[in-house]
Amino acid sequence: MGPGIFHRLSRKKKQRILQKHPLHGSYDAVIIGGGLHGLATAYFLAKEWGITNVAVIERRYIGFGGSGRNTAIVRANQRTKENLPLYSEGLELWPKLTKELDFNLMFFNCGNLNLAHSEAALSSMRLLVASAQFHGIKSEIVDAKQCKEIVPILDISDRLTYPIMGGMYHPPGGTVRHDAVVWGLARGAVNLGVHIHQDTEALGINVQKGRIISVETSRGRISTPLVLNAAGAYSTLISAMVGIQLPINVLTIQAMVTQPLKPVLNHVVSSGAYHCYANQTLKGEIVTGAHMDPWPNYTTDVSAHYIKHQAEALTELMPCLKGVKFMRSWAGLADMTPDMAPIIDGNDHIKGYFMDCGWGYFGFKSGAVIGKYMAEFMATNRCPDRLAPFNLRRYEDHKMMGEIANPVNYGPWN
Amino acid sequence: MSLTITCPICGKRNGYEFRFGGEERGPRPEEEGLTHEQWCKYVHMRNNTGGVQREWWYHRDGCGSWFTILRDTLTNLEVEGPEET
Repeated sequence: MGPGIFHRLSRKKKQRILQKHPLHGSYDAVIIGGGLHGLATAYFLAKEWGITNVAVIERRYIGFGGSGRNTAIVRANQRTKENLPLYSEGLELWPKLTKELDFNLMFFNCGNLNLAHSEAALSSMRLLVASAQFHGIKSEIVDAKQCKEIVPILDISDRLTYPIMGGMYHPPGGTVRHDAVVWGLARGAVNLGVHIHQDTEALGINVQKGRIISVETSRGRISTPLVLNAAGAYSTLISAMVGIQLPINVLTIQAMVTQPLKPVLNHVVSSGAYHCYANQTLKGEIVTGAHMDPWPNYTTDVSAHYIKHQAEALTELMPCLKGVKFMRSWAGLADMTPDMAPIIDGNDHIKGYFMDCGWGYFGFKSGAVIGKYMAEFMATNRCPDRLAPFNLRRYEDHKMMGEIANPVNYGPWN
Repeated sequence: MSLTITCPICGKRNGYEFRFGGEERGPRPEEEGLTHEQWCKYVHMRNNTGGVQREWWYHRDGCGSWFTILRDTLTNLEVEGPEET
């Protein structure tokens, strides 16, 4: 949060950002999951469609899950024609939302540099760059020397196990303060009349004659014709309540931060081969994320295995970080689909039941923009064209997305 | 994170030695009369049980055997039968 927020808050009377509301017996829509996707949908339902009698129910507290555990990186250099325009629009939304919500989301479009350590990786990047440029998104191939100009602390010598051969530079990407997005959207939604119920667990969903009628929660029953499953990693468990199986594996993904340093890294740097991505926060810490633990589970434990792995990767790519200490590590859950693309669907099998899940590790970047389209979907009962390709039936129809080749060797099985 | 898995041949070992082989979901469906829906269910759909599940593992960095264990996905601990869900 920027200092401006504190000023404005203290000038008025000190007011909690989230007011507590009594749990009503009925709402026009119930959103399960108080994360970024759920809150964004609630906000846009209220703002764009005037549907304000909405409850967001959250088992723990808002932003407990992936929304508060990601590494805050945003970008639009994905692979497929279905994904690119969405993520690109998502990037353009951050500055607009900052104004609209009157909440500093700390969008820092410092650019992403993705490193290639093999010819194969470079050719895969050529395809990514061509796809991005086709959609009018800035992205370019750079050679090793240019990588060094962009990020001077990189070691481009052949001392590395996998020397840097070049990379893909995507200037419009960067970072957004994840907690700020959660709080900004929550406050925005509450100001428009949405109720956010924390500490409220969804225990069951009641369906009658193929229609949603109510949601059982740990604090009582809520009658509603519309339910959105935006439960992130827990979405398969929510989905099981209405008997819908999803092609999702829930994997743990770890991240960590170093002690604060003077500014040394002004971009997001990532490397598929090293399974490592890093950026320096405005506080000076280097935030770095790892690969996923390759077996499904619901714990958010961390392990020495990845701390060691990240230390090795970081100090090999950026040798000046040798001796820097990690302060803290944590883990979040990623709901991985076989084709690395989300499942967005609604009114299929069950009228009034909507899903926005299977985001894997793309949930943060997409949250705000998907909320906007999801709200349109729920308000009009018509699936916006942008979301249509992400339906659940694509797996049955053998129409999986081609996101998987980016980057090479990425998948739940390795 | 810590995970140990008991291989029927090598005994209790570090989980990172193994490759996860998916939750147990019954035999491969018969090809005759197989619908897209059934095939999709077998290939892609998962229960993602929050609790104890039977699942397949492969001892990649060891003896190479395939076997099943019971594991509680909420605690990430191997459990002994018969709490199968």
